[in-house]
Amino acid sequence: MATLALEPNGIKQDRVAALLDSAETLRWQIGQEFHEQLMEDIYTDAARIADRAVTRPDEKPRFDLDRTIDHIVTSRLWGFPLMILLFTVVFWITITGANYPSQFLSYILIDTIQPFLWNIANAIGLPWWLSGILIDGMYLATAWVVSVMLPPMAIFFPLFTLLEDFGYLPRVAFNLDNIFRKSGAHGKQSLSMMMGFGCNAAGVVATRVIDSPRERLVAIITNNFALCNGRWPTQILLATIFIGALFPVYLAGIVSALAVVAVAMLGIFLTFAVSWGLSRTVLKGEVSTFSLELPPYRPPRVLQTIYTSLIDRTLYVLWRAIVFAMPAGAVIWLIANVTIGGTSLAEYFITVLNPIGIIFGLNGIILLAYVVAIPANEIVIPTILMLTVLVYGGSGAGAGVMFELDSQLATRAILDAGGWTLLTAVCVMLFSLIHNPCSTTIYTTYKETGSRKWTAVAALLPLVMGFAVTFIVAQIWRLFSG
Amino acid sequence: MSDSFLTLLGAILIAGVIVLVMWPGKGLWARWQRSRQLTKRVLAEDALKHIHQGDLDGRHATVASLAGALQISMDAAAELLAQLQTDGMVEMHGGDIALTPQGRDTALHIVRAHRLWERHLADETGYDAAEWHARAESAEHALTPEEIDQLAARLGNPTHDPHGDPIPGARGTFIAHDSVPLPALAVDTPGRIVHVEDEPDVVYAQLVAEGLHPGQPVRVVEVTPQRVRFWANGDEHVLAPMLAANISVVPLAVPDETVHADGTLADLALGAAAEVVGISRSCRGSERRRFLDLGIVPGTVVSAELRSPGGEPTAYNIRGALIALRREQAERINVNFQKLAVDSK
Repeated sequence: MATLALEPNGIKQDRVAALLDSAETLRWQIGQEFHEQLMEDIYTDAARIADRAVTRPDEKPRFDLDRTIDHIVTSRLWGFPLMILLFTVVFWITITGANYPSQFLSYILIDTIQPFLWNIANAIGLPWWLSGILIDGMYLATAWVVSVMLPPMAIFFPLFTLLEDFGYLPRVAFNLDNIFRKSGAHGKQSLSMMMGFGCNAAGVVATRVIDSPRERLVAIITNNFALCNGRWPTQILLATIFIGALFPVYLAGIVSALAVVAVAMLGIFLTFAVSWGLSRTVLKGEVSTFSLELPPYRPPRVLQTIYTSLIDRTLYVLWRAIVFAMPAGAVIWLIANVTIGGTSLAEYFITVLNPIGIIFGLNGIILLAYVVAIPANEIVIPTILMLTVLVYGGSGAGAGVMFELDSQLATRAILDAGGWTLLTAVCVMLFSLIHNPCSTTIYTTYKETGSRKWTAVAALLPLVMGFAVTFIVAQIWRLFSG
Repeated sequence: MSDSFLTLLGAILIAGVIVLVMWPGKGLWARWQRSRQLTKRVLAEDALKHIHQGDLDGRHATVASLAGALQISMDAAAELLAQLQTDGMVEMHGGDIALTPQGRDTALHIVRAHRLWERHLADETGYDAAEWHARAESAEHALTPEEIDQLAARLGNPTHDPHGDPIPGARGTFIAHDSVPLPALAVDTPGRIVHVEDEPDVVYAQLVAEGLHPGQPVRVVEVTPQRVRFWANGDEHVLAPMLAANISVVPLAVPDETVHADGTLADLALGAAAEVVGISRSCRGSERRRFLDLGIVPGTVVSAELRSPGGEPTAYNIRGALIALRREQAERINVNFQKLAVDSK
């Protein structure tokens, strides 16, 4: 408008001004919200034309299968038990089914190929540091992540996608929406949260089904509190050797299982609490619209589903994890093997970090392990074991290389030598649940939100919370244990 | 033992300090930001706005009213007026304060910025209606004329803010409604809400809670000195006359049938069907468009199919698709119930 008035072009300035004035006067006469009125009339007209022109076959068959299934899966009586049963089965299949391929992969990649690679490296006379970085660093970290991560994901994701394809998952969101609504979230967050139990990066991608901007951000930021596949083994190991060991043998199994479930439940509770807080504070201004379509059921396309979930979810997540794990492996090897004046870099860092760690019920080794193992939670425990042996000496594959032990007693012995107590184990379990998401998830969050600000919130909020919780637990524990 | 006690105490202290500083709205940081905003310019602009509003309402601003509106002392108000006079923004006619043309332009600019920003908050963000006014109060001083014009263009040059106040045009034109307060509308005369006063906050929050919004048709049933009873938004409302007077209405030549809707979709029993009469005016922006996209337009027959075991949402059959809506949303769709759940052709 303004540019038109400035251009000479033979147009008289005063006539332009008069035109603009009359345009603005006319706007007042049209009345308020004529845009909306117009749009609604167009929609109404379109609907009327469609109703007149389109003839539908007589619907309502005698027996409506979809509605019958819906009445069962969303009923007050059967809705929740069916849901719990189904997901228990899915998790059970995943956990038991993943055990064997995991052991097999570990046997192939770590016990067979790694020594083989060392033989080749020795045969062609590579310098020790080069083969160390390549084989004990980059290869080992990647192999570890693959063997822990791949089997559960290759089982969990296809099962989950089958349920999705059948049309059941939207009903789960429908059943659970009221709980999520109360914490300012969307019912579909239940789905991204469950996906997060498999992998947080995949969970963040799964929030795409939430079409309301505010609720989607809530789901992305809180996904970290769903205990992921990379952290379950840590929880189970520590619960078994520290908490289960406190009880007589016949109770140990059930107690350590309960401890792990309690940690996972705490994660779910934090999801709701943080969702509630976020949607009332920093996310208040984001647009929020709810809608949830319950599509018709259909027979799942099994082969296609397995193929797409393997390609889209499993391999995609795995690839990202490998990309991040390789450099981490190199870094871990370097800090453990590069020495200055006879002391490794790791030991310098640990000496500095130790006093800080103690305040939070942790120690310098744990903090350093969490820093260097940011790309993958799977390698946190192997890194802790390696660093502990490096500093305190002891059995193991050897200082400077990540390892895990078959015997839980031996693991306990190493951690005890590293000064671990029950408090340390509890704090590590809590920190493992709450701390910042792995770098794969952080990167995925950035890709999905396209915003540095929300990525920073998603990474730093859990980190601060993790330190706050471990701090309070550690200090109160010490206060009472004297 | 005493070690952990001291550490805990220290941490609680630090946390306390952080809360004291960062608490939204009342913390030191927020206070500091506000005090920084309360510059001379802001005060001057607010003063011009106040004088302009007084002119519109036909009651002239005084030093006392200015001091009251800006929450400053009488001395400061007098000083402010003197400064405005030096700047050529106001003139004194006898005892009356009057705006110069330049002062009026500035006041209109601020009013325009304020109301456009409220429109933006209503249409493009998720903030509560109760927060619009306070947020616009600080945004109005920060927006440049170019930003305001861009905002107006993006919003489609709206003529009214979400409360129904006219937004001055870029060229300064601006026409107020010939409206009457709701209690003054004759019983049974069809009318339409054109304005819901957004101050004081408590009253406005109550009107929002009633679901009253500019654009809705109304029909007054009964006016007594104790209460005003009227139909609006598919429901009967009863308000104290003092509250009802904060709603301005215009009489309608043609009655709007949506005022007589049986109720809202939220009242629909499971298995029953209803015909959509319209979407409430309080439903705006992307939510309204979503409803339209789903095919919720006047004449659509909707039936309630399933209720979540949690109590809500409820799944409705809308044009052959099963769509779950929360109660709060279903309350925004006015419907006429159908006597029998017959075939929806």
